[in-house]
Amino acid sequence: MEAYRQQIIIGAVLIYMIFCVLTGLWAMKRTKNASDFFIAGRGLGPIVVSLALFSSTLSGFGFVGGPGLVYSIGVSSFWMVVISSSGYALGFFLVAKRIRMIADLHNCISLPDIVAARYKSEAVRFLMAITIVLGVMGYLATQILAMAVVMQAIMSGTVMFADISLVTCVVISSTVLIFYCVTGGIIASVYTDVVQGAIMMIAGSLILLTAMSVFDGGMQEATSIILADDGEAMMPFGAAGIMASLGWFFVFGLGLAGQPHLVTKMMMNKKIGDNRSILPMSLFGYIMAALLWISIGVIMRAAVIDGMVPPLALPDDAASVFLSVFTNPLLAGIVFAGLFAAIMSTSDAFLNIGTAAIIHDIPKAIRGHSVKNELFWARVVTVLLAIVAASFALYSHFRDATLVAILGAFGWATFAASIFPVLAIGLNWKGATALGAVTAIVSALIINFVVQLAGIVLPYGISGGLVSFLTSFVLFIAVSLLTQKPELDEDMEAVMDI
Amino acid sequence: MRSKLIYVIFAIVVLMAGIVIAILLAEPVANSGGFAHPNFPGMQAGGDGMGRLAHIGTLAFLFQCLLQTLIVCLCALGVAERHRSNELWLYLGGTLIFSVIVWWQMYAGHQAFMQSGNTNYFMGFPVATSWQVYGTWFSAIPLILIYSLGFRKFIFTEEDEEKFNQLMAKQAEKTEQ
Repeated sequence: MEAYRQQIIIGAVLIYMIFCVLTGLWAMKRTKNASDFFIAGRGLGPIVVSLALFSSTLSGFGFVGGPGLVYSIGVSSFWMVVISSSGYALGFFLVAKRIRMIADLHNCISLPDIVAARYKSEAVRFLMAITIVLGVMGYLATQILAMAVVMQAIMSGTVMFADISLVTCVVISSTVLIFYCVTGGIIASVYTDVVQGAIMMIAGSLILLTAMSVFDGGMQEATSIILADDGEAMMPFGAAGIMASLGWFFVFGLGLAGQPHLVTKMMMNKKIGDNRSILPMSLFGYIMAALLWISIGVIMRAAVIDGMVPPLALPDDAASVFLSVFTNPLLAGIVFAGLFAAIMSTSDAFLNIGTAAIIHDIPKAIRGHSVKNELFWARVVTVLLAIVAASFALYSHFRDATLVAILGAFGWATFAASIFPVLAIGLNWKGATALGAVTAIVSALIINFVVQLAGIVLPYGISGGLVSFLTSFVLFIAVSLLTQKPELDEDMEAVMDI
Repeated sequence: MRSKLIYVIFAIVVLMAGIVIAILLAEPVANSGGFAHPNFPGMQAGGDGMGRLAHIGTLAFLFQCLLQTLIVCLCALGVAERHRSNELWLYLGGTLIFSVIVWWQMYAGHQAFMQSGNTNYFMGFPVATSWQVYGTWFSAIPLILIYSLGFRKFIFTEEDEEKFNQLMAKQAEKTEQ
């Protein structure tokens, strides 16, 4: 079997991609209007929503960057994972019920629709849509690039595709992504998410079992090797220190309720009552899949320190080296399919919300109505958005890497800082005002941009994301308290009382 | 509690911001955010744990206590005011105490390791790290249980559902007109 390692891996990835294409064709028949395209007509069952929710949370970053972070900074990065129970709980307590009710009452198909209805403000809608578009470009570009890099690494291991170029890999992977997103919209996206989520859970648990068998003494031997080398790296705050760790707890924990690609999925379930089962199922799935993040990172750091494996060229190589050194080809095939699943499940969610922002929200904020024939334009813009993001990813890769870094600033932390107060607090506090919302979004964008562009490094590992989040949070409440309490529509008043 | 809860949340966030400012202004410590590992490129090391916490340890401890409190208060904010019963506050208070104990055990375990250089292990990790990995994960599980098991009591009661259905019916009537 070992002799056919590359072929088995390519086969697993190919089967997965064929599945995505077929799902797109199937979902196309069920996509009849813009509501179907963007929010699946609010008709999804709890298992589908749970799997879609957690698989979108754990992007390619979780499968590639996560283990790389553990390799690089030790336990510090665990904080991004262990906050999941608090993060999901907050997301459901603060957002899930009311976003679903408002979506129903106001026929909302996007997050900017929700905030526009809540604040009766087109300015808030516009700023939210712009934040989403900027974030989507950054996220999509990095995800497409990651997908192409992994594909190139897999394909170049065979004789036939030894010289395959990165551009070809971008074209192949983007084509599959575009195909099922364009044909089936969010319906294809969430149903592929179901399989993507299942693959990620299986991959996570199998990898944990493999990781525990690498050292005779199991995980304890691995952690004791790291501890002997550098005590701090294996202690709760890791190499990055206590404030970096707690900052991640804050930004990733609270911030989950401010991620547009996740909260949008909370609008898609058939019944509000399903939320009670969606929450535990999503969390369970996330934990299972995240086992990969922790176990690969710990084992690879210990293996390198122990001399079992030579030092990695890049921390992000941790997952691929682990798979090639410690796993059998079949498991490697499943995990690589899982990796594509993780990347695609996040990418399709971003393509969807980005398209909604462009054809629905920005025109509505400027002209008072969205484009005619939304379904047609949704498909066109999905293609264009993916092509622009792919071109942007390639340009950044070959010409100017700082571009991706700049838009990378519009990652999790910016979404968290700009969206969490406006959405999660705003849906639960009648005193929140449009001016408070505008102030929070603008301050979050400015601080994150300045910190990123100026390359500011704060003492004690404090991140710019934490500073921007705290600032926007404080400003949102303070400005809302200082401005006149808004008069809510009767139905919004009623929703906020429920 | 309706009028007060947002003020409590605001006070907590302001205090947290104050702590972050105090830490930013604290006496700097070299390599407080880690440094390049001397032997393995791509790896970071933490080095002197005691030194890194010398000026900010207590502030960081308080920051996390406030964060745990904030999480519980935000969950309460997500519950309609009339469902914020004593029973709910009891559950949320219990969750807060549990999560603060986990955090305290983690912090104290780390301190003990820094002083002695020795540690026991629990399920594959040093004890302090086990509190982080398993404890932090589990400390929010009560919130999941409150939401899922208490859904019809605190989050979306039969009465709430009825009200929402009436709202929808009213909306449908308006649309037809």
